[in-house]
Amino acid sequence: MELNLLKGGVAALALGAACSLGTAASAQDTPSWCGPEEATLALLDGFGGNSWRIVTAEAGRQEAARCPRITEYFYADGQGDTQRAISDINSMAARGVDALVVFGDAGPAVLPALTNAYRSGAVVVPYRVLVGGEAGTNYTRFVGASFVDDGISWGNFIAEQFPDGANILFLSGPAGNSQGLEELEGMRQVLDDSYVFLNPEPFAVTNWDPSLTQQVLSAAIAQHDDIDIIVSDFGPSLVGALPVFENFDRSIPTLVTSDGNSLGCFWTENHENNPDFDLFTIETGTDNVRLAVQWAIAEATGGEAPEAEVFISSPFENSVTGDPNAVQCRDDLPGAIYLSSGVSGDRQAELVGN
Amino acid sequence: MTEVSTISGGKPMPLGSGFALSKGFVTIVASTIALLILCYIFAPSAVSAGSLMGSLPFAAVLAIVGLGQMLVVQQGGFDLSVPGGVSLAVVIATHTANGNDALLINAVAFAFGCAIVAGTLNGLMVAIFKLNAIVATIGMNALLFGAVFAVSGGVPRITTDLLAEIAGGRSFGVPHSVFFALGILALVSFVMKKTVAGRRFEATGANPQMARAVGLRVELYEGTAYVLAQLLYCTAGILIAGITREPTAFQGNSLLLPSVAVVVLAGVSLLGGRGFPISVVIAAFFLNQLSQFALSIGVPYSAQTIVQALALVFGIGVYSINWTGRFKKTNQRSTEEDEHGTQSA
Repeated sequence: MELNLLKGGVAALALGAACSLGTAASAQDTPSWCGPEEATLALLDGFGGNSWRIVTAEAGRQEAARCPRITEYFYADGQGDTQRAISDINSMAARGVDALVVFGDAGPAVLPALTNAYRSGAVVVPYRVLVGGEAGTNYTRFVGASFVDDGISWGNFIAEQFPDGANILFLSGPAGNSQGLEELEGMRQVLDDSYVFLNPEPFAVTNWDPSLTQQVLSAAIAQHDDIDIIVSDFGPSLVGALPVFENFDRSIPTLVTSDGNSLGCFWTENHENNPDFDLFTIETGTDNVRLAVQWAIAEATGGEAPEAEVFISSPFENSVTGDPNAVQCRDDLPGAIYLSSGVSGDRQAELVGN
Repeated sequence: MTEVSTISGGKPMPLGSGFALSKGFVTIVASTIALLILCYIFAPSAVSAGSLMGSLPFAAVLAIVGLGQMLVVQQGGFDLSVPGGVSLAVVIATHTANGNDALLINAVAFAFGCAIVAGTLNGLMVAIFKLNAIVATIGMNALLFGAVFAVSGGVPRITTDLLAEIAGGRSFGVPHSVFFALGILALVSFVMKKTVAGRRFEATGANPQMARAVGLRVELYEGTAYVLAQLLYCTAGILIAGITREPTAFQGNSLLLPSVAVVVLAGVSLLGGRGFPISVVIAAFFLNQLSQFALSIGVPYSAQTIVQALALVFGIGVYSINWTGRFKKTNQRSTEEDEHGTQSA
């Protein structure tokens, strides 16, 4: 077994800073979910090898550092290997780590390991990916993201911009993925029958792969000359594909998606030549982990429970109204970062290695 | 009694005075024409200029990868290190250059260097140490993905403008990647069919024992196939890096099955022997057009996957089963039985 253990440098720094500043100051800054008891915390990633995960891991580390009662912070990367992810969970439980925050990429396959850890007395908080089982029996609490709410945010923007109905092309990841299905459900709650989905039911499959996206989009553009809106749950994967509209001498249509620096910069460079190209994004959800960490720490240290039980991505950019933000682009930073994240753009750039 | 069986894969079909076309070529061209006609009737958008501009670059990439796989298959091997080889080239071309056009040439040289090392190791393992090709190359694939992570950390990076122009641009309305594919096709065809080394390469693949008996260095030809294949994967990877503005670090994953499929569809025998470069390139266009067709008629994803799988089954069915031989054999047997019946009566 090979564990990639990283001591939370930020946590240690924060701890040192808190000690040196004295208890009065630290008590004032300590969030309510950080209770009086000391605890150790581990963040277990099923797969850590892309920029979204790197930023997410940093967000988790930063959140843990806000609580001075966390004496040690561990991180393990399952590298996409279910067996490794399971052994990471088992070994953290065996070391007596008090709280485990788990991104269960492998889904129900990691449930037995989570259950064992929970029964051995650890606080176990799986987040974002459903692992099956029940809170209180197999783990302490599941902190999910509400993709239905993402769909509702998108639907609201679409209804605002196209009150008389529109033709929508909805692209999501692998066939049947629950995220895409929930987002569609959210949009359907807001949009009536005057909004037509041009894609095959329930969404056009792209596997979130830029080259497949490009091929799917080429076919869709050739087939439909009246696409008003493209909805995608992974905005940056569209950046390579959108220039396809040029081949057809057509303007890029309105794009409704999640944020990414490369996408923001693409809009900034291209919106003048594409009169129909409006952009609406929601936060890409790298801060989902913060809520999970808060819950884990509250349970492990005896702090107050956080208010939110489910993570909801807020709208981030709106090129039409500028509310809550105009389109963001930091062209001095890598494309594969997320300016909506609580982790600063510069810090993200350091982490993803610019 | 002696039975003369026909070789299914490379059986030449006589055409006029001494000019012969392979069965694979005739079949794939006929299938492609039939598919284009289907497209015109049922999904005209799949053959519109804009749609072709969008999809041809991917057909070109597949053609180049397919030619690489063909070289290995001709030597009776299989190369499962396609995903690793392509992905490594993609990340080196984007990460090493890091958006700086001046560094592009270094990045390309570095990528080809890695390809030569990977190909040589594959060649050594298979040709010299006689490891099973599937085992050796799947191990190499894992190693190459290790390198992909070492270079990129799994994080995509935006490609340089120069590479985007070279690989993703157009001249005379034709995507540059198509010129690359045609150039490589011409080179592979010429070397294989018109040079001594190329003829020996095919002969070695067709019958290694015979080749050894006449004094050919079988291991050298077998090993070279893996090196050349990696060089072609690398070229394809660099092209993908230019065609896709922000390629992921795992861009090669989706190319493994199609790379074998185009070789099978082109009628190259999986036991080794003759190669059909032109057929491989046409098969790549065919497969690509097939998926565009499936996308354009708006069938669900499951049906798209089934259509592609059926095409593969069709390819294997046409070439791997000796229909004429089987038919004759059955007829013959029944005739023999009839004769026996008459004699014993």
